[in-house]
Amino acid sequence: MNDNDVHDSAVLSAVRDSISRLPTPPAPQVEAIKARGRARRLRRVGGLSVAAAGACAALVVGLTGGAPAARPAPQAGPRSVHHATAVHLVAFTVAAGPDGTTTLTLYPGQVADPSAVRQALAEHGIPALVTAGEFCRTAVQPDPGVGDVVTLSGPRQIQIPASGQPTARPGPIVINGSNIPSGVELSIGYRQDSQENEISFSLIVANAPLTCTSIPDHGPHTGD
Amino acid sequence: MSREKTEFAEFFQASWEPCLRTVMASTGSVQLAEDQVAEAFARAWLSWRKVRHHPAPRAWVVRTALNVGASWWRRRLRELPLLGHDAEALSDEALNYEAGGLDAALLAALRHLPDRQREVIALRVFLDLDIDTISAQLGIAPGTVRAHLSRGVTTLRQELSLTQAMEADR
Repeated sequence: MNDNDVHDSAVLSAVRDSISRLPTPPAPQVEAIKARGRARRLRRVGGLSVAAAGACAALVVGLTGGAPAARPAPQAGPRSVHHATAVHLVAFTVAAGPDGTTTLTLYPGQVADPSAVRQALAEHGIPALVTAGEFCRTAVQPDPGVGDVVTLSGPRQIQIPASGQPTARPGPIVINGSNIPSGVELSIGYRQDSQENEISFSLIVANAPLTCTSIPDHGPHTGD
Repeated sequence: MSREKTEFAEFFQASWEPCLRTVMASTGSVQLAEDQVAEAFARAWLSWRKVRHHPAPRAWVVRTALNVGASWWRRRLRELPLLGHDAEALSDEALNYEAGGLDAALLAALRHLPDRQREVIALRVFLDLDIDTISAQLGIAPGTVRAHLSRGVTTLRQELSLTQAMEADR
């Protein structure tokens, strides 16, 4: 250790002492932090992600096997949605919406085959990478923000009951394919396990190397 | 999952204060730092399976908190044409505490360092990170980290010497 190190150490110690003498607010309860995280996940629209914690989750995609495309679903409730240009599958529907948008709807407790979802979206002109059980991003998240491409519709999509446990209702996912620039794809990942059910969206650079994780990557990213 | 919850709770309890002080030193605002750090811990909980294996999870939290702050500033940049005035107002409310003498002078000097120098010093002082880890966290070369640290410390040392001399003259 030379003289400069000693002097540097003294300066840094003085800074540490000065900051350490500042009063700080008490730490919040860890449960409050977790609730903030859950709320963030539910409302996230810019690296758009929707999830629900616990067994009451409603936005559910089963992963127990591939569902053949275009097989008619058992018709009940919202699954009876039909449209002249709709592709109607077991666990999801993809339909042309107004203003050139495309509506993707995933149904709780069903099985959505990623390749079938991808194919259905491609037929509507939406280039997508669809993955189950993992969430993929490229190092660069191209413009525009995913919030300009994907919106979640449904006025009562997120509900926070008296128990405080937020739940997500399966609302249609409206995709504005015309806002996806050339060379860009929409990455859609979904997962279901005993704890959480989640779907996440991001924009990726076509043919660029992917980083795929078992949970959505909410950490630091350029442009976040 | 229960083990993960326990781990996160322990990490949170042990790391809240050092992370908060690091961000306070970086941003110069107690209130802003508190909100940013709470947001960063919320994100850490969302990504806990990844963060728990991070080589420096506290640094992950701090970096995320600073990114939150950067996003906040970017929004303000778009929204506020009179940024200079607003930035000054933020500085005025910063580190609003009862302090005097050396502490006040040092903290004022810290607040006036360039952002990067302040971040490097904060990570070094409060998270005890070495040069290579700071380099990885900030995404800049180790040599650049050393340069920021050296310049920042030099500025602070000058302020420290000046203040000590003034106090000795009293």
